[in-house]
Parts: sequence; structure tokens; C-alpha cells
Amino acid sequence: MIPPKRPRDPALLRRRRLANGVFVALALLATGIALLALLLILGTLVSKGLGGMSADVVLLDQPGPGESGGLRNALVGSAMMCGLGMVLAVVVGVLAGTWLAEYGDGKRLASFVRFLNDVLLSAPSILMGLFVYEAVVRPLHGFSAGAGALALGFLATPVVTRTTEDMLRLQPHALREAGMALGAGKGHVVRSIIWRASRSGLVTGALLGLARISGETAPLLFTSPGNPFLSFRIDQSMASLPTLMFQYALSAYDDWQALAWAGALLIAAAVLAANIIGRVLTRGSFHK
Amino acid sequence: MIDVTGLDFFYGQQQALHGVDLPVARGQITALIGPSGCGKSTLLRSLNRIYMLYHAQRAQGRILFEGENILAPATDLAALRARIGMVFQRPTPFPMSIHDNIAFGVQLQRRVSRREMDEIVENALIRAALWDEVKDKLHSSGLALSGGQQQRLCVARGIAVQPEVLLLDEPASALDPLSTAKLETALVDLKHSFTIVIVTHNLQQAARISDYTGFMLGGRMVEFGHSTDVFVKPETQALRDYVTGRYG
Amino acid sequence: MKTATRDRLFEAACCAAAMVLLAAMAGLLAALVWGGWPALHRAGLTFLTSDVWDPAHDIYGAAGPIFGTLATAVLAMLLALPLALGVAVFLTELCPPPVGRAIGIAVELLAAIPSIVYGMWGLFVLAPWFAAHVQMPILVAAQPGSLLDRLFASIPNGANICTASLILAVMVLPYMASIFAELLRSVPIHMREAAYGMGATSLEVLRFILLPFIKRSAVGAVMLGLGRALGETMAVTFIIGNAHGFPKSLFDSGSTIASTIANEFAEATGDLHASALMALGLVLFIITFTALTGARLLIGREIH
Repeated sequence: MIPPKRPRDPALLRRRRLANGVFVALALLATGIALLALLLILGTLVSKGLGGMSADVVLLDQPGPGESGGLRNALVGSAMMCGLGMVLAVVVGVLAGTWLAEYGDGKRLASFVRFLNDVLLSAPSILMGLFVYEAVVRPLHGFSAGAGALALGFLATPVVTRTTEDMLRLQPHALREAGMALGAGKGHVVRSIIWRASRSGLVTGALLGLARISGETAPLLFTSPGNPFLSFRIDQSMASLPTLMFQYALSAYDDWQALAWAGALLIAAAVLAANIIGRVLTRGSFHK
Repeated sequence: MIDVTGLDFFYGQQQALHGVDLPVARGQITALIGPSGCGKSTLLRSLNRIYMLYHAQRAQGRILFEGENILAPATDLAALRARIGMVFQRPTPFPMSIHDNIAFGVQLQRRVSRREMDEIVENALIRAALWDEVKDKLHSSGLALSGGQQQRLCVARGIAVQPEVLLLDEPASALDPLSTAKLETALVDLKHSFTIVIVTHNLQQAARISDYTGFMLGGRMVEFGHSTDVFVKPETQALRDYVTGRYG
Repeated sequence: MKTATRDRLFEAACCAAAMVLLAAMAGLLAALVWGGWPALHRAGLTFLTSDVWDPAHDIYGAAGPIFGTLATAVLAMLLALPLALGVAVFLTELCPPPVGRAIGIAVELLAAIPSIVYGMWGLFVLAPWFAAHVQMPILVAAQPGSLLDRLFASIPNGANICTASLILAVMVLPYMASIFAELLRSVPIHMREAAYGMGATSLEVLRFILLPFIKRSAVGAVMLGLGRALGETMAVTFIIGNAHGFPKSLFDSGSTIASTIANEFAEATGDLHASALMALGLVLFIITFTALTGARLLIGREIH
């Protein structure tokens, strides 16, 4: 018996083809819209940012109205607070991530910590600012760079924790077993073999954490809202790029607004650099 | 029915098929055999152009299906694949009920009343030798079936669409002997209504069920003919070696 | 020190660090409750139901900012969700992989740009454009009292609920698009082969195979985006107009919880004012953590 050629419904096929064409066009349109919006933002950022850029930006402190000046105090303040915050985040995050990856299997508590950490990853940063305000600033009766660093550190910690755990879990079990077979204790194996093998991954975690906090504004508003002068004192309010940008962008002065854009460009460049370096370091071993 | 001539196939820079010819006869079972990596799956995957899902894969040459070259860029792939169905090596039930797995493809092709759909589903499952095992749980998930049942579900799904050709890519490789036997019985029954092309690494299977057999090696079609001829008196040393088990 | 002792100390240190995370979470909640208590105690339920926010007379009703938070976040999601899905589908299903990868990396990097930059763009570029090219023409065209007038009546300065939602949408778009793309990539390739092999079109494969496959995680991804939009501070503060009370139209200025806190905290002179802002923070905590917890429960471990 020879199978016949089967009639099909050409109208239905046409309709399906049309629907699919519309769908493809819409997806293309969505991508176009997204890319256009992002290009517009980047374009503004670069053109206005370069417009406000000059050597003064890094050489002079923030100006008063009508004076000329730069962002030096804010740059130094941001670097110090982010740096201090990252020390906290790396110490706590790497240890906590190690606990989750190496000691946490099968423990209820570990699943709970892991879950909370994932929630904290996308928690609103403004709440972290309120927390540190209530816990540190109010009892000590004053804003301080230390409080700012603490708030930033708490924000970066979940990122470092998560990345550390992911990275350590990528190490093959054979590596752990080989170390233990030599008679080394588990802690020793983790410190001297696993950490070393995951070095670039741990650095990536730190860079991603840094990228997360270096543009954070909201938590600093309640902990270290600014300081018109260059300051290195940890017990006093310190200037930072984002808070100064916030102040200057909302001001009525053109030169202040130009400085805000210069700051925005610097921060965006730093964040993108941290992200790219982080990704390059762990190319292939880490999907995000 | 299908006439492949001078087919070259490339994975990126690497050429996997070299000038392959293959005639597929209407209403018959054509088997493709050969050692791993010989290009038999690649050839099969060219027949419905499923390779188009992958960016770097491309085919050159001519594949005539009912007189039309399906390698032409203007070919409507959705329409083509409705006429040339495929069952894959690994069972691939969709994440939906057994009933809906079968209804899915049918609904794409034509409007069907609920009652008619129930008949189509039952009919397809009967022909795939699965009806008795699943008739009481048509609305439970297709993922809950055993591997052999899943594969027969995929066959049922494929034939419910009423394609003219059915391509099978090592459909029994993941199955136990009992499931394989059931699948083979189903296939032999099906050949009266479908043209079947099957890739298999199981020579007994090819000999048992096929009318024509093509033996491939290194991306080339080495021998092609009636299965009885090919298995009983192979012309090339390579096929003799393969039949006697010198290749993996 | 003996090795065994040192190892035990090391494990204890690791465990302690993990407990710091727990403590941070608990401390966060405790601080907000503690700080917000005076205002909550004084205002009672009216804190949630009243829209009178009058620091001069120490009257605090947060309904306006709460509504503004929910409204902007939901509007932003309505805009961003179809776009994000479209982008993700285009990247993973429709365009050649090298192009998809390039756009994908760009999208992920843009998701990392600090929100204050989005906010400044909204203030300096979007708001003036919106005022001149959307609000003015409508203002001119609308008859007083007509539906158009009631929906869109406003001062044409570009600082309103609608533009705030737009900025939020642009912000969460790359974030959600990259999650969706990752989810789509996680669908086994043989599922796609089987579906295309049946003669399904891209749309049908997406609708009947891919979306059901990632349904659960996709809902989680939406809630994750929602959590972001709800808690976002800087992108909104610049552009929402910062008016308390219920916005009267889509183009009226309003406020969100986060923008109110950010704007008023520095000027909060009275203890009760500061406490009211803390209480607002508590409300935000409850809203966002509900969304985020739901998101994480649905989405599992694979996505950041």
C-alpha cells in the first residue's frame, strides 16, 4: 500500500506563519527599543560626562556655588569607604561562603542562611542605610565614614558570599580527597588547596561586590552624607561620589551639574571595568 | 519519495558528509547503518533540516522531496517538518499530559473538535502500541512514563500529525530489549501508511525491519541496496568488516 | 597549636561569618521596628490608611507613598516584562549566537550601571522631553473635565508617576532580560529539537514548550524584578516629583516610600518625623521581602 499525499489546511498554515512573523517582528522591536534606550543613556553619560571632565576633577575639592572645583574629596571618600566596606565584605563573605560550600551540606541552618543570603542579594539598599543609622549613627550621635563603610560592606557581603560558594563548589571532589589523603585536615585543605585553586573566582566575587556598592547612594545618605573638605577621619562624615552627585545634580548651578555628570561617568566606568575584569578572570567557569 | 544527491554537510569548517546520495522509496523502511560518527544521523537530520537550529551547521547539494528541493532557502520549515516527522534518540516528552503531547502537533496543523481529537489520540497510541498501558492515565504527565513508554509516546506524537515521512534517529538506543521489540513491531505496522527512514547501530534491527539499507563510512555512502542484498552479500570489504563486528 | 584545634577554629570562624549574615538580617528588621515604633504607635492603623503626610504638625499617613511605590513598580513591570521577554527570546532563539552573545553581554553590563545614573538621565533628558512632547500636547488638546484631562492632567514638568515608571522600567529591563535569557538557555536542546521537529514555529515553541518549561522560574524572575523596582531609590527620587498624597492622574507627581525617606531624612528634625520614616522603611521591608522571598522560593538556586 502506498501512503497518500495528505491534504493540509493552507489557511491555518498561512495564519500560523503570519502570527510567527508578527512575533519575530515584535521580539526584534523589543530588542531595538531596549538597545535604543540603553544607547541614549550611555550617549548622554559619555557626552555630558566628558563635558564636565577636566584635570580639576581629580585635583580640586568640591566647589561652593560659583567657584571652580573638582571631585577630589568625594573620590577619596568613595575609595576609602568602598575599600573599608570591601574588607568587611571579603572577610565575612569568603568565610561565610566557605562555610556554606564546605561545611554546610545537609545542615538545615546552612540552607536557611543560603536562602537569606539570596534574598539579601536584591534587598533595597536604602534599608541597609536605615539599619546602620539606627544601629550606629544614632547611638554614636553623628554621621561617620565608618558607618558608611559598614552599610556598604553589608551590601557587598551577600555578593561575595554567593560567588565564593559557587566558586568553591566548582572545585572537583577529587581535589579535596587528594588533600585529605595526604593526611591534611579539612580546614587545612580548604585554606591551602581549595582557596588557592579558586583564587580568580574569589577575586571575581570581590570585584562584583565592589561593582555593586561603588555607585550606591541611598545607604550613604543616612550614614555619611558628605563633607565639603578632604577628610581621612573615619569617625566623621566623609564625602562620596554618589551623594555629591545627588546633591549637585539636583542643584540649580550648571557647573555643579556638569561635575555630577563627570562623577557619573567615572563611576559607570569603574563599575563596568570591575565587571569586565571579574568576568574575564573566570571566563568559562562561571556563567554570570 | 525523497531523493538526496550530492549532499555535503558542514559543522563549521569541518565537513561531515561528502557527496552523499540516498533514494528513499515510498511506503518502505530505509535503514541507515554505520559506525559512530559516520554521518548517518547527520544525513537524517538534513532531511527535515532540523540542523537549522544550530548556527554553524549547513548543508549543500540537493534533497528532492516530492520533486521540490527542500534545501532551497525559501522552504517553509514548519510546513516541511509537518510532512516529514522525526523521533529522536532520547525520548522527549513535552512537559504536559500524555493526551496534550499528542494533541500539540495535531492542533498546529488543523482545527479538530474535542471528540475528534480524542479519537486521534487513541488511534495514535494504539498504533504506537502504547494504548493499553496508558489509556487510564491520559491526563497525567508524559514525563511520568518509563523510558520505553516515553519513546513510544514520541512515536505516537509523530504519527498523529500524519506526516508522509517519519525519520527515526536511533529510537531504540536508550531502551531495554523488551521495549525495543514493542517499538519494532509498531514500526513494521506503520510502514504501510508512512515512509520510514531509520538510523540504527543495531544491525539485527536493520535486517529485521528494513526494506532498504544504506551503509555509511567517513561521511560517505558506501553501499546502498535492498536490505537482503546488503546483508547477505556485501560488496565492499568495509561492510563485511562492519557486519562481522570489526567496527564498534 | 595542634592542627586539629586549628581546623576546629577555622570551621568556627566560617560558621561565625555565616551567622553575621543572619544577624544582619535580624538587626535590619529589629532596627526598623525599633526606630519606627514611636510613629506607628502614635498613628496606629491610620499610618497605612491615611494619605495626610504633614511633618509640620507631626501627622503621618503613608498611604500616598505606599500607593506610589506599588503603582510605579507595577507600571514599570507592565512595561518591562514584555520588552524583557522579547529581548530574551530574540537573544536566545532568533538571532545568530555570536550576535546574541554580544548583545547579551552588553545587556548584562548595563544592568550593573548604578541607579543614580539612570536617575540623572531621567531628570536631565527624559523629563524635559516628556514635558515638551507628551504633556504639553495633551494639555493643549484636552477639554477640561474630559477623560483625557482626568487621566493626564498635570503640571507639565516631566516629574511624575509615569516618567518614574518609565525610568524604573528601563532599569529593570536589562536585569530581567538577562534572567529570562538564562532561563530559556536552561531548557534542554532536545526539547527544542522535538518541538521544531513537529513543525512548530518559533512562536509555538515558545508558547507551548519553552514557557511552560520555565514557568515557575519565570514567575520568580518577575517577582525578583518587582522587588528591585519596589525598593529602588535613586532612579525614582530624581523624577517622581515628591508630592505626598495620592497622585490624581497618571501624569501627576507622587512619591514612593524610598524617595520619601531619601528626600526627608536629612531634614527630619523632629524625632517623630524620623521615626515615621523608619516606619516607612519597615513597610518597604515587608513589601520587598515578601516579593523577594516568593521569588527565591520559585526560582531555585541557579539564578543570581
